[in-house]
Amino acid sequence: MLDTTRSSKTRERTSEAPGFGARLAHVQLGRYSGIFILIAIIAIFAAWMPQSFLTEATFRTILQGQAITAILAIMLLFPLATGGFDLSAAQIMGFCALVCGALITREPRLDPGTAILLVMVLGALIGAVNGLLVTLFKLGSFIATLGTTSLLVGAAALVGNGEYLGPFPDSFRGLTAGNVFGIPVLTIYLLLIALVFWYILEHTPWGRRVYATGANPDASRLAGIRTDRFIFWSFVISGTGASVAGVLLASNLNSVNQSLGPQYLLPAFAAAFLGMTQLKPGRFNIWGTVLAIYLLGTGVQGLRLAGADLWVTDVFNGLALIIAVAITVFMQQRRRRREVKAKAAEAEGTNATSQAKDATSPATADVTAAEPAKS
Amino acid sequence: MIDSLSVYENLALGNQYTGRFWLSESRERRHAKDVFTKYGIDIDAGASLGALGAASRTMTAIVRALHHGDAVNGILVLDEPTASLSEVEKDHLFAMLRDVKAQGGTMLYVTHRLHEVFELADRVTVLRDGRSVATRDVVDLNHDSLVELILGRPVDAFYPEPSVPGKDAVLEIAGLQGGAVKDFSCTVMANEIVGIVGLDGSGAGDIPHLIFGATKRDAGDIKLDGKSCNPSSPWDAIRKGFAFVPGDRKRLGGVADWTLRENLTLPKIIGRGPLRWLSERWEGKQVASFLSDLEVKPNDTEAGFSSLSGGNQQKVMIARWLRCQARAYLLDEPTAGVDVGAKSAIYNALTQLAADGAAVLMTTSDLEEACAVCDRVYVVHEGRITGELRGARLTVDNLLGEMLRPNTSSRENLTHA
Repeated sequence: MLDTTRSSKTRERTSEAPGFGARLAHVQLGRYSGIFILIAIIAIFAAWMPQSFLTEATFRTILQGQAITAILAIMLLFPLATGGFDLSAAQIMGFCALVCGALITREPRLDPGTAILLVMVLGALIGAVNGLLVTLFKLGSFIATLGTTSLLVGAAALVGNGEYLGPFPDSFRGLTAGNVFGIPVLTIYLLLIALVFWYILEHTPWGRRVYATGANPDASRLAGIRTDRFIFWSFVISGTGASVAGVLLASNLNSVNQSLGPQYLLPAFAAAFLGMTQLKPGRFNIWGTVLAIYLLGTGVQGLRLAGADLWVTDVFNGLALIIAVAITVFMQQRRRRREVKAKAAEAEGTNATSQAKDATSPATADVTAAEPAKS
Repeated sequence: MIDSLSVYENLALGNQYTGRFWLSESRERRHAKDVFTKYGIDIDAGASLGALGAASRTMTAIVRALHHGDAVNGILVLDEPTASLSEVEKDHLFAMLRDVKAQGGTMLYVTHRLHEVFELADRVTVLRDGRSVATRDVVDLNHDSLVELILGRPVDAFYPEPSVPGKDAVLEIAGLQGGAVKDFSCTVMANEIVGIVGLDGSGAGDIPHLIFGATKRDAGDIKLDGKSCNPSSPWDAIRKGFAFVPGDRKRLGGVADWTLRENLTLPKIIGRGPLRWLSERWEGKQVASFLSDLEVKPNDTEAGFSSLSGGNQQKVMIARWLRCQARAYLLDEPTAGVDVGAKSAIYNALTQLAADGAAVLMTTSDLEEACAVCDRVYVVHEGRITGELRGARLTVDNLLGEMLRPNTSSRENLTHA
């Protein structure tokens, strides 16, 4: 009885395979949906309020305003790709911005170049502490970085002392002021950083090993990947990158205080997860993240121009994060279904090998007692 | 089955608790003990399931199904239950199943191991490429005619001709110790395939992990081509010329969500030019020949690893190491959960490796395979070598005899009820 139902099911699947599902799989609409949504958002706001939204100033604001969040999000991708979370990145950024401001404005008033260098070393050190906590002391990355976040909040209060530090000398402010070919210089930084890290993460053997560490740490270790090193360095990268973002933030704001940082955490994570659904689905990737940042940023800016209250920003980001993760889960399920179909189609085409279920680990050797099927 | 729960908690899962309201731990434990006694199995009901060996876990799952499911009036479905069981445990399980059958129970038994069909089944249905091709009475079949049904072509030489072992020692292991392994020494010559067999818990499965540096060694000296090398980690081992195909393919082998291309290049990812630029197309070109050499289906570098059958996944795992050109190949259960067609391809690949001068050391629980593929087989019991068989003495019966010879507790545990 059972064999007949099985084979008829297979036939159903194969007859479906060249149909709608398979065509959808080939087009992979989902991969580029973010671009279409971005265009749709721009079109909606453009039609709604052409005078205020469709201006050079608006686009420049969006490009510039989201650049620092985008840089932070790119840095988050490294720990995420190794299977870890760097919850402290936003606080590292805020703390580094504060320290940078303090080094420049307080005695002995270091010159900006030295200050930036020191701050980057500081960021790398904090990242290294995170990395050691996760790899050497085997704390979960979630707990470890939550802990360092809290430490940094305390340290920021100590350094900041409730003061506003600034304004900064022109040489420091000039770092992020102005445009190149009409594009805000901050956005140029973002594009350069994205380009470099896209190459490192997505087109080098090193980056592939970073992904492998997150995708299956045990298998990666047995394939000769020193997973602990990759996890450690991913936290050093996110720490250093966050400090660079902090320097840019200080320069851009021209005034820093101890409360900077946490407000960037959620948008950056939202973008990283939303980016995972784009361009290279199922994998944290750089350009997907940049796309996601500008998708969120454009939406928020449009709503602001439409007169929405400040809380709308947070609601928008929160919704986007939830929807992004929901989409990711949905797409993974769809891909799995697609693979089953592909397998059935493959079986149809060949006759040489026998198809059989495999069971390697005891966990998969499943044993069930079932009532006889009604038939 | 839930690893973090204890054995008796797992046994009670699925609404089979002894009481309705108050969940008494001691009562549950006592009940579980009774159940195990009834089936003649010695498993500590209070132990955490994750701490048990693979065989004990499988036995727990089977007992749960037998005891709580309505095995006699319903259908008992078993999917490769013996994948992690040793011969003795398998015999015990089969005795239990024959008992169920004698009481009028119906069973659907899915397996790759053809001799199990002849031992247990009345009728057999062969599936090939997702379709049922034949349903026959087992009495009308023999081993070869069943293989023929599965392959869809006549059986030529299923096991390849063994190569002639060379004169030079490639892999020398002295006094290996760690995990369940107490003392293991062996030498593998060039052109030689050496097998390790042992019951569950004997430590046989730990040996390749220890040699490869995946598990910490307590003692032991490992030489490759006469030079002491003692790999400290898998990374180190690979650089020194080792390759290791682990047994648990899903957890330790491949990356399920990745393509065959990415899985194949994982141990040795080569970027192009001074920038180490990694391009999909270039990478695909490097791996395509390995997929076709081992007849991986689908022969598509971009296919998802998880979409492949177990046999084809294992071929990819082996292809991965062929690409690295190691001196010593360590394999843990290379054909567990692998269909007959793929088995043949894997045996050919191993024989070819040996013929090319490499040393091959593999563990297996399939004694027939050990006899046919290996030039020499070590029998391991409680972490020590208790026997070494070669040549004409290398038969399934002799191996089984060697495995059971030391009269120890693990054998007593599983005497039939």
